Amino acid sequence: MNRNHKIRTPVWVPPWGYAEGWLISIGLLAVGLLLQVFGGGLNPNALSWPVNMYIALIFNGLLISAYLCAGNTPLVSWLGRVPAAICSITLVTLLVLVMGLILQDDDSALPWIRRIGFSSMTNSWPFLLSMMYFMAALGMATVKRIFPYRKKNLCFILNHLGLYIVVTGGLLGSADIDRRLMELRQGEIIWLASDDDGHVHEMPLAMELIRFEKEEYHPKAALIETDTHRIAAGTDLDIFEIDTAVSGNLGNWKIDVINFHSLSIPVDDRYEPVLDIGAGPAAFVRVTRAGFDENITGWITCGSFAFPHQLLELDDNHSLAMTVPRASAYRSQVMLYTPDDKPMIVTIEVNKPYSASGWKLYQYSYDDRFGRWSRTSIIEAIRDPWLPVVYTGVFMMLAGALYLMFKGKTRVNNVGYGKSGSMGPEMSNPAKLQNVKSIQE
Amino acid sequence: MPPFDPQLYTIAAISCWMIALVLFAVPRRYTPVHFLAHCSYISGILILAAVAAILWYGMDRAPLRTLGETRLWYGMFLPLIGYAVYLRWDYRWMLHYASIVSAVFLGINLLNPENYDRDLMPALQSPWFVPHVIVYIFAYAVLAASAIVAVKGLILHYRHHEKLPELHLADNLVYIGFGFLTMGLLFGALWGKEAWGHYWTWDPKETWAFLTWIVYLAYMHHRIHRPGQVTGSLWILSLAFIILLICWFGVNYLPSAADSVHVYTR
Repeated sequence: MNRNHKIRTPVWVPPWGYAEGWLISIGLLAVGLLLQVFGGGLNPNALSWPVNMYIALIFNGLLISAYLCAGNTPLVSWLGRVPAAICSITLVTLLVLVMGLILQDDDSALPWIRRIGFSSMTNSWPFLLSMMYFMAALGMATVKRIFPYRKKNLCFILNHLGLYIVVTGGLLGSADIDRRLMELRQGEIIWLASDDDGHVHEMPLAMELIRFEKEEYHPKAALIETDTHRIAAGTDLDIFEIDTAVSGNLGNWKIDVINFHSLSIPVDDRYEPVLDIGAGPAAFVRVTRAGFDENITGWITCGSFAFPHQLLELDDNHSLAMTVPRASAYRSQVMLYTPDDKPMIVTIEVNKPYSASGWKLYQYSYDDRFGRWSRTSIIEAIRDPWLPVVYTGVFMMLAGALYLMFKGKTRVNNVGYGKSGSMGPEMSNPAKLQNVKSIQE
Repeated sequence: MPPFDPQLYTIAAISCWMIALVLFAVPRRYTPVHFLAHCSYISGILILAAVAAILWYGMDRAPLRTLGETRLWYGMFLPLIGYAVYLRWDYRWMLHYASIVSAVFLGINLLNPENYDRDLMPALQSPWFVPHVIVYIFAYAVLAASAIVAVKGLILHYRHHEKLPELHLADNLVYIGFGFLTMGLLFGALWGKEAWGHYWTWDPKETWAFLTWIVYLAYMHHRIHRPGQVTGSLWILSLAFIILLICWFGVNYLPSAADSVHVYTR
């Protein structure tokens, strides 16, 4: 083909390409916005079981039967090709971009932004329609490669079908996810849980808190301005972890930690190590100012709920402080009662949830007023019946990603891309190409 | 407390690369000079690898928590990828650009020294932490190399009106980078399920990670469909990298990220 020649089809004359794709994108966006403005947002719970299963069956059934029975119609043929992929990707990208820029679920958003649904994008009509568009294009491209199946299409199918399964399972399954909080206290068996809306549900399992444990990193020594309690300028990089016999420099002062107790309580004018409720960290330090011989000694502590913090004043403006230690781990030991098993003691920890009776139990929170001495622990129970579906897609995509990296890009000239950019078996009738007009520029 | 001062070693690594680039400029027939160039370049990468290893050992946690720590890995991976591209396809300019971009990112670390501490919040203490972040940073570095190809191509096109290069290199890099990006995204989802109870919550960082992923997806589809439209592809590739950078650093500053779980210590 001569470089100066471009082949263009009039709009809506098959085979459809980008022009039709952009028009469909704009049309869907406009319809979505109108529905949103005049009909209001979507109720995410409307999709709960079995509605989501029916929708999945209908949508997949439509895609497959459209391909098998009406594969030559302009719409179906176009849906399975790259222009539809790129146009739908662009529409989804635009809406997700808006979602990435505007704080979501924000009640203080501007009224018109809330009206068009952009402050709760995932529950809005434009987002729903764009995802359906995207899924139709993705689904059709996948169906084309599955029927008939060829081994060389495996990488394509892993990536496309995997993504299709993940998105279908994620979107349709979200209404079936149950998240409930159970507030456990020592000595009480709890079988009630509350959801986001404050409704209380009876659970198929019960728990009793045996012990809540919280481990902490050592606190740090910091130089602060006595009035403002802010870190003194230029010393934030010098903050160091406190331990017995550790030394550090903060500004013009050298700090020697003589003694450190990770758990202690005040006794007269000192701190004594104890392992008892309300104990907190304390350190006895010696501070020497650069260029001076004399030094100051004294105790510092960040306090606990049982006793206040204590600073060591170094001069008129500066004090030495101990930071509140950060958590290194927290976990609950609970007695778990289920209908199937004997009661047993299990540990639920951050990043280590426990599965029982179809629920996953997560360490969610504790009473932070009491920190490590909290006697309550909040466990989140989550049930997601669609998770196996989503994970099937996730592992297909992982396999597809590895395959893609090793295989690399298929050389273009081996595939035979036509004008319409087919990524699969060509479905459009070559006779229709008679409509194509060649325009000389 | 930093177990040692990473700043000096960072400067040493950058110096090694700069020396190597000068030596690489010497004609190839001077074999010993080229051997030295290779040694110097590899030394720079090894020095940074040693910094990462010592930090890891000294802090008793993977140095992947803060943005500065991720820049350290990026500064190591990018020259590594540049070197691999040079060895594999003989693009010497890639070596230059990879070193310069890496030096810029490490320069940010030099200007903003950190207080490396041991603390690692419980949610980050997961077997997924290291693979999730490393795979992502590696993807970012490979995709940075593809962005370098894109910017070079656009400059050639608009400033010098040269015939556009074929995009085999960019395509290869994007396919590798995209594979890692997908793995990072999915590892994050699997980790999210274990740590927070759900694999996808449209947290702003997730939203931007999805955007990054989907724009590279658009690039790949555009390349397949319109292999001859190189300018368009180059623009998509440049835009994709800008989105990637917003995802990596920019999210911390966006109003939409007010409640994000991914806003790290700066």
